[in-house]
Amino acid sequence: MKRTVKRIQNTRRLASIVAASVLLAACSERVPAQSTARPGPQNAVLAEDILTAEAALRRGDRATAMRTAARIVETFGGLQNPTSGDHVTVGRAHAILGLGDASSVRRALASFDAAAAADPNNIEADLRAGTLFLDKYNAPEARTSFQTVLTKSPGNARALLGMARVEDFEGKGDALATARKAVAADPKLTDAIVMVARMHLEAEQYDSALTHARRALATDSTSVPAWAVLGATAWVTGDSATFQRARAAATVQQPKPAEFLTELAEAAVRQRRYADAVRFAGQAVELDSQSVRALGVLGTNQLRIGKMAEGQRALDQAFKLDAFNLWHMNTLELLDDMKSFRTIERGRFQLVAPAEEAELLALYILPLMEQAYDSLAVRYAYKPPAPVRLEFFRDHADFSVRTVGLTGLGALGVSFGSLLAMDTPSARERGDFNWGSTAWHELTHAFTLGASDNRVPRWLSEGMSVLEERRAGRGWGADASIEFVGALGAGKLRPMSQLNDGFLRPRFPQETEFSYYQASLFCEMVEAQKGAAALPAMLVAYKKGLDTPGVFKQTLGMTPEQVDAAFEQFMRGRFAKPLLAVTARDSVATGPFVTAMKEGVAMLERSQRDSARAAFERARTLFPNYSGDDGPAWFLARIDRDAGNIGAAIRNVAEVTARSETAWEANMLEADLREKNGDDAGAIAALERLIWIHPYDPALHARMATLATKVNNHALAVRERRAAIAVKPPDLLDARYELARALASAGDVPGARRELLGVLEEAPSFEKAQGLLLQLRAPRKPPVQKP
Amino acid sequence: MSRNVSSGLKTRMAAAVVALSLMAMPAGAQGTHLLVLQGLSGEPQYRAQFDAAVRQVREAARTKWNVADSNVVLLSETANPATKALPATKENIGNAFVGLSRRVRAGDVVLVLLLGHGSGEGPASKVNMPGVDPTAADFNSWLSGLSRQTVVFVNAATGSGDFVDVLKGPGRVIVTATKSAMERNESVFSTHFAAGLSGDAGDGDKDGRVSVLEAFRYATREVAKVYTSSKRLQTEHAQVSDSLLAARVAFGGAASSSDPRIATLVAERQALEADVAALRGKKASMAADAYDRELERLLLAIAEKTQAIRAAGGKQ
Repeated sequence: MKRTVKRIQNTRRLASIVAASVLLAACSERVPAQSTARPGPQNAVLAEDILTAEAALRRGDRATAMRTAARIVETFGGLQNPTSGDHVTVGRAHAILGLGDASSVRRALASFDAAAAADPNNIEADLRAGTLFLDKYNAPEARTSFQTVLTKSPGNARALLGMARVEDFEGKGDALATARKAVAADPKLTDAIVMVARMHLEAEQYDSALTHARRALATDSTSVPAWAVLGATAWVTGDSATFQRARAAATVQQPKPAEFLTELAEAAVRQRRYADAVRFAGQAVELDSQSVRALGVLGTNQLRIGKMAEGQRALDQAFKLDAFNLWHMNTLELLDDMKSFRTIERGRFQLVAPAEEAELLALYILPLMEQAYDSLAVRYAYKPPAPVRLEFFRDHADFSVRTVGLTGLGALGVSFGSLLAMDTPSARERGDFNWGSTAWHELTHAFTLGASDNRVPRWLSEGMSVLEERRAGRGWGADASIEFVGALGAGKLRPMSQLNDGFLRPRFPQETEFSYYQASLFCEMVEAQKGAAALPAMLVAYKKGLDTPGVFKQTLGMTPEQVDAAFEQFMRGRFAKPLLAVTARDSVATGPFVTAMKEGVAMLERSQRDSARAAFERARTLFPNYSGDDGPAWFLARIDRDAGNIGAAIRNVAEVTARSETAWEANMLEADLREKNGDDAGAIAALERLIWIHPYDPALHARMATLATKVNNHALAVRERRAAIAVKPPDLLDARYELARALASAGDVPGARRELLGVLEEAPSFEKAQGLLLQLRAPRKPPVQKP
Repeated sequence: MSRNVSSGLKTRMAAAVVALSLMAMPAGAQGTHLLVLQGLSGEPQYRAQFDAAVRQVREAARTKWNVADSNVVLLSETANPATKALPATKENIGNAFVGLSRRVRAGDVVLVLLLGHGSGEGPASKVNMPGVDPTAADFNSWLSGLSRQTVVFVNAATGSGDFVDVLKGPGRVIVTATKSAMERNESVFSTHFAAGLSGDAGDGDKDGRVSVLEAFRYATREVAKVYTSSKRLQTEHAQVSDSLLAARVAFGGAASSSDPRIATLVAERQALEADVAALRGKKASMAADAYDRELERLLLAIAEKTQAIRAAGGKQ
């Protein structure tokens, strides 16, 4: 996944924001709490039946569970004076009946409300309500319910577990710490131990995951979730014996182990092994066609591997069973919208984009992707299956839904292997991102994932993707920012061996962004110190099933501690100068570099150009590899331009464009200066960089075409004339005429004539086009000589 | 099979007559008059926007439409000695219309371009001018003196939509930047209408003349793009009162000539252009190859006629 944009904070799961409104609406319709309830012992028959029903559900015997739950509801209806406990029981029954029936969910919530109204001390009602809210994706209400319990019963283990789940769902707080509190409060609370195990599995901390899964089983050997986490961890680490044992044990508890398989499928997703996820989820659905979770995992991941029709069918089915699921609803709506998208297939790629933009994007991105494919295939000795599907979304919310089912994802692109998805350049403000480097980044994932059999950890895959960006284009790929150096100096960056947490559990808003850069620097260090073959070798080592310490040992000959130390040394060396010049205090950068920049700007405002120049020169010496497009080089370039020092201005502005992939103004200035200086090829290169920032300006394409013609690069001129048409210029016919001219210059006279005929068909009076048609008229055949 | 040349020629000439009657009425053939009324801008950005639009249209009138300076009247937000513009007060506007009605001849084309910010509704719709704001009803009264001319009245101000119902009538094309008086948000129509009317891009059929309808279509297309690309809800929807007349009134060089040789060539070319139009009508029923061959033949013939017209000293 391409790094987040700095202005958008990382948001992992935003379900509650959107879900709350829907669920609150649903809850407002629920049956009011009944006033006939009372405290007291609950009905023994009902209590027995609900245990039977829930046990049946855990076994996967949904029919028995539903039948028993229906009987409970019927029996409850005949009770004269139901107790608070009876209300909880019937609520649990309604919850079981809630599959595909939203009204039962509302009845369940109403029952829990009635129970709480009858006996405010019945914390079971709040615990059950909280759990149901969370099952239906309403985290705020769930939080309120669990908080109510914790107010009444501080340290309640089940409430703490509920809070941990809420925190995990929302991506806020420290879910792992809260889950650990739940375990501390009740060391035998199996579900809490399972949650700790699962979170370790998600963080790719497999030893800890195994330890906790085993601890959970020690408290309850019949826990299918515990066996599932154990089995999933074993599968991920290639421990087939443990995996088989876990599967067999889960099958004893659940003869049709759909839950086990679904857990496995989700673990496969976290490993980015989407095809495996589809396989496991498909098996789960075969065993339990009513499992919303299994259907969701199946459909979502079918869509991620390009099985669009199958994925839509699975999600349709899931949505019929659970209309509360926003992920599924959003995705289904997006799939409907995507029916109007245009697909362009060329070579090894399939571009899917909004019809209005497909042609323009294809002109640039498909050749770039072919180039990337060839380059990366050599470097990583691996070829992802073709065609690689590249989806573009003009609305960032749509891209976000395509990726995670919800809006709010702060990423630019995503790779699911042979399916890449990203924003169109029009989805963001000009200068927000570089769509070429983003696509290159995502395609690199397809190679690193494939070469490692999807076992490469997130941090390394991201590091390689950023490194490949830097190799691919001038200015592409993250470079040092003032904030990064500040964080490095302040000791806020994680050691290499813990970098995965920088992606999965960022501690501050910019940590994810810093982690991308940090990971890429690690890759640079490895290449510099161990040679170009070291990084591909790491992928192969992961493919063989080695964990990260094992990979370090085999490919780098180092322990994690040694890697951390070496990288720390590498960083301190690389940023030795900036570290002396930048200090971060309370998230505000200070230090000699900042002082010099401020002085330079102030002097410039007072038109003291020589003094300003000296200040900016000093700033450049203090932080030579500053990457922003507002650094000393940018100011120096403009001072030189204004002073008529074109050569110096070019050198300075080139420093900016070499380090920033989104520097629109700097590239435009470079193009202007180079063209003025007679460097047409240099101007073309700057214009090309502008296109990767924002390709929608017809004038930019026309200018580039003119320059290309001037330097006799007719193929480039044709591409640019086609682009000028694709952006729907104000004068479309004239743009088509220019394309005809470019085609003719490129030697494609038949193509030029076709284009001209199309133009003149629309506008027979178009004199320029008439003239060109006469020039290009087919040579007349010589008269046939009669014998 | 022998081909009946004479009947074919007759058909083509008949088509040419029909085509000529449908073709644009080039404003240059009659006298063309331009009255520009530039209202209060309020903010520098609008002043710049209005100034640019006025500059473009004036320049086109002088260089492309061959409109004499004496036929151009400019009233502005403030008096401007450089452009000889008087303030666009209600009194000055009324006087300008009176003066215009005395100068024009029957059949002349009068283009009135109104820029500014609008207010009010219905006949009381106004454009903010220095002093008392004139209403749509006032303009209707002033336009009554131009009943024997073709009037193109373009109110490119915000909230201008109700001018259409008040002013529309025979011999008048009314263009407004908005569809009602309620569309009062910032408008970009004036910029694009001026660009369409005065530049080559607005010349949709590339015949060297820009009809009012072409400029209108150009502007509405470009206005929509502005909103789409900035992901904003479009808050202005331009309208035109009489699209048939708007298609016939055009600004720009005319293909007329007193030289009978050139006139014949022009007529022949128009006949060929009519043939292209007829061929396009048959496109769906023809084999693609045959269509392309015939199209190319006709287009080459048209191009040769143009070449011959040029060689004979004619304009386009």
